[in-house]
Amino acid sequence: MTSPATIAAPTTAAAVEVTGLSKHFGAVRALQDVTLDVPAGSLTAVMGENGAGKSTLMKILAGLDTPTTGTVRVDGEQVRRYDPATLLSRHRVALVPQELALAQDRTVAENIMLGVEPGSRPFPHRRRIDERAVALLDRLGVRVDPRRTVRHLDAATQQLVVIARSLARQARLVILDEPTSILSPAESEQLFGVIRSLQADGVTMLYVSHRMPEVFALSQHIHVLRDGRHVGSWPTAQVTPDQVVAAMVGRELAAEFARHDTAPPAPAATPRLRLSRVSGRGFRDVDLTVAPGEVVGVAGLPDSGRVELLRGVFGADPISGGDLALDGTAFTARSPRDAIAARVAYLPGERRQQGILPTMSVADNVTILTLGRRQRFGLLRRRALRRDADTRAQQLRVKTSTTAQGITQLSGGNQQKALLARWLSIEPRLMLLDEPTRGVDVGAKAEIYRLFRTLADEGVAILVSSSDLPELLTVSDRIAVMAAGRLVGVIPAAEATEEKVMALATGAHTMKEKP
Amino acid sequence: MAQMTAQAAPPAGQAASTTPRSPNPLQRFLHAREASTFLALVVLFLLGTTIAPGFLGTDNFLTVGQQIAQIGIMAIGVTFVIINAEIDLSVGSIYGLGAVVCGLLMTSDVAWPLAALGGIAAGAVAGLINGLVTVGFGIPSFIVTLGTLSVYRGVTLLLSGGSPISLSGSDPNVAEFNLLGQGKLFGLLPMQLVIFALVAVLGTIVLSRSRYGFNTYAVGGSAEAARLCGINTNRVKVTAFALSGTLAGLAGVLGLSFLSYVQGVTGTGMELTAISAVIIGGAALFGGSGTMLGTVIGVAFIGVLQNILNLRGISSFWQTVATGAVIILAVAADTWLRRRSGRR
Repeated sequence: MTSPATIAAPTTAAAVEVTGLSKHFGAVRALQDVTLDVPAGSLTAVMGENGAGKSTLMKILAGLDTPTTGTVRVDGEQVRRYDPATLLSRHRVALVPQELALAQDRTVAENIMLGVEPGSRPFPHRRRIDERAVALLDRLGVRVDPRRTVRHLDAATQQLVVIARSLARQARLVILDEPTSILSPAESEQLFGVIRSLQADGVTMLYVSHRMPEVFALSQHIHVLRDGRHVGSWPTAQVTPDQVVAAMVGRELAAEFARHDTAPPAPAATPRLRLSRVSGRGFRDVDLTVAPGEVVGVAGLPDSGRVELLRGVFGADPISGGDLALDGTAFTARSPRDAIAARVAYLPGERRQQGILPTMSVADNVTILTLGRRQRFGLLRRRALRRDADTRAQQLRVKTSTTAQGITQLSGGNQQKALLARWLSIEPRLMLLDEPTRGVDVGAKAEIYRLFRTLADEGVAILVSSSDLPELLTVSDRIAVMAAGRLVGVIPAAEATEEKVMALATGAHTMKEKP
Repeated sequence: MAQMTAQAAPPAGQAASTTPRSPNPLQRFLHAREASTFLALVVLFLLGTTIAPGFLGTDNFLTVGQQIAQIGIMAIGVTFVIINAEIDLSVGSIYGLGAVVCGLLMTSDVAWPLAALGGIAAGAVAGLINGLVTVGFGIPSFIVTLGTLSVYRGVTLLLSGGSPISLSGSDPNVAEFNLLGQGKLFGLLPMQLVIFALVAVLGTIVLSRSRYGFNTYAVGGSAEAARLCGINTNRVKVTAFALSGTLAGLAGVLGLSFLSYVQGVTGTGMELTAISAVIIGGAALFGGSGTMLGTVIGVAFIGVLQNILNLRGISSFWQTVATGAVIILAVAADTWLRRRSGRR
């Protein structure tokens, strides 16, 4: 372990001092002797691979977990009771979690002012609640009706409501846990504006993210955790992304993130997948082909229909019109079962809700599609299945002590690798991948990109939908852009730039007719 | 597609979150979900030997076995439903339905094997209806089976005409039928206990070794994820309800065979004891977890508890109070243990 370089900022008092912090869950050491400072008024980024201990650190700072040993001081005052209410009311620390916890059926204003309503206790003053909420939202530069029910807001606005809620409690330290993971590029830009104005107001921020560009654009300091230890810290101005990545993974991996420049595969006589004027829930009249060995990226805003297109092809949602062909043969999956039988794989974007089988082991999760091969007299051969799982988990380098472990005990990146191992078990000819690297750390990301290349070289056709444009530019041979449920353009990777793609994705978006 | 070749780079350091443990059998046992329930059963057992006169003894244990058999058989079925993240509140009514249908067939001089099958079939149909309605209309099974709890009870009362059915022991057909509930294998083991053991073994195999059992855990853990893996989630759920109904019907037939007597209200409230046993056995109402072994231990726990209270001469009213308190304690202890060990 390298000893952390100390931050040379003696002029400002440290807003947060973490000293010798450790957290053990049984034999698992999530954090080991972490010492770091967050200067007052700064935006400090905490980076690290999944499983590095970032979430545990954030949870402790927000009072959701109690450290095994070590201390946390906020503005010089030591935290003695680790619970969210104490951290919020006494130390003024607020967390904006990845999974936004809002009362979905209450209004925007009620959510923001919950617990700090003006007026006498049992009968809060409704109009003043609305006024206070609007004032806070104005401070964030957000326009939204305070009487609207939260359920009807998009994720980006909900997130801003959570931030406004922390302001209502006069938070002086706001912890943002991967705030852009649920946002489109345009929404992220709006959030960055909000973050900058908060910083101008003197709010200290801790920022957890995997995305280098935004961390370098926003932060003044960067801390890196690896395997529960603090392995590096720098003023942002004095470090390069490569150095940070190297500290995160403990090795160099620039190569995987370079755009691959191999020539796209020669157009095959019959495409692996051909869509002709295909319509379904959330998309209409899509014409698209994917050749064997080709990676086609699908770009578009979150509501563009790109997620729905993959679900339609897989048979998860019904197809309402048009013709689909797989290797030249007409093929419409009426259920996921049909698609799997045709060796079509689908990795959902919502890993926790739709991907993993949360109560089952890694082995069960990896072998679920091939149980039939390991049956004798109608009974499953558990030991053979375990061996299958071990082999597959090793091939994809899933970090797990044993495949008998529960899948939820793995980090996000390793869960994703386990799910890829699940789908590779049917030797797919077409893979439909939605946000394949969401919530996945750089190390695992690089491995996943490399895997795509390998699979494509072996002749698998890959259709990948992602909100991460640099990712699409990295992995794709061609990029299909969707907007408002329609395919608005297909750009060869060599000619594609983020600007071009965004122009297509958003240009049509503004002209979108309301249903 | 041949070998994966994307594994060139060396592993990125040791994962701190996955320190390997080498579990010895004892540790593995202590980590098993059933461990806390089993330990509680052991404690209760030791308590019984000290405070309950006549607790230790083969006769008493066989009596307990006899008493828990019917609830146990029902609990096996309910386990499938609960792991599916559903609930079946109607098994007590189905118990009554199975017993009355069987009783009516017996009093119509139908040969006893057919009469028994008739009772079981009535349970199967009732369970199937629970499943089809739940899945078909997409309403919570809590609501559906709360409704059929009443519907099946009403049907049972209508069938019996409100008057009890008694089987006459002088009829040879009845005498043979009574062996199911009253007979003893090798003159020792109560037949009901033997049937419960058989059902439990079959249930264990189906749940832990069959593809259906695998799918049950998958669907209960996340129905959407299971569907995207090509599992027909509706079929898995309907099958669980049908199983639950079938076994409740079987339990009802055994009840009739044991007492030679059934009336329209027979079995009322049994659903709560059966569900309690499953919960005490460690299954979570959220679905996706639980084992047959756990359920069997849960059933034994309730049986031993009631036996101790009986031997101490404590009124059955207090037994009802105790059973309820134990459910809460069991779940609270399990939650506490898991929070402490950092599992979720």
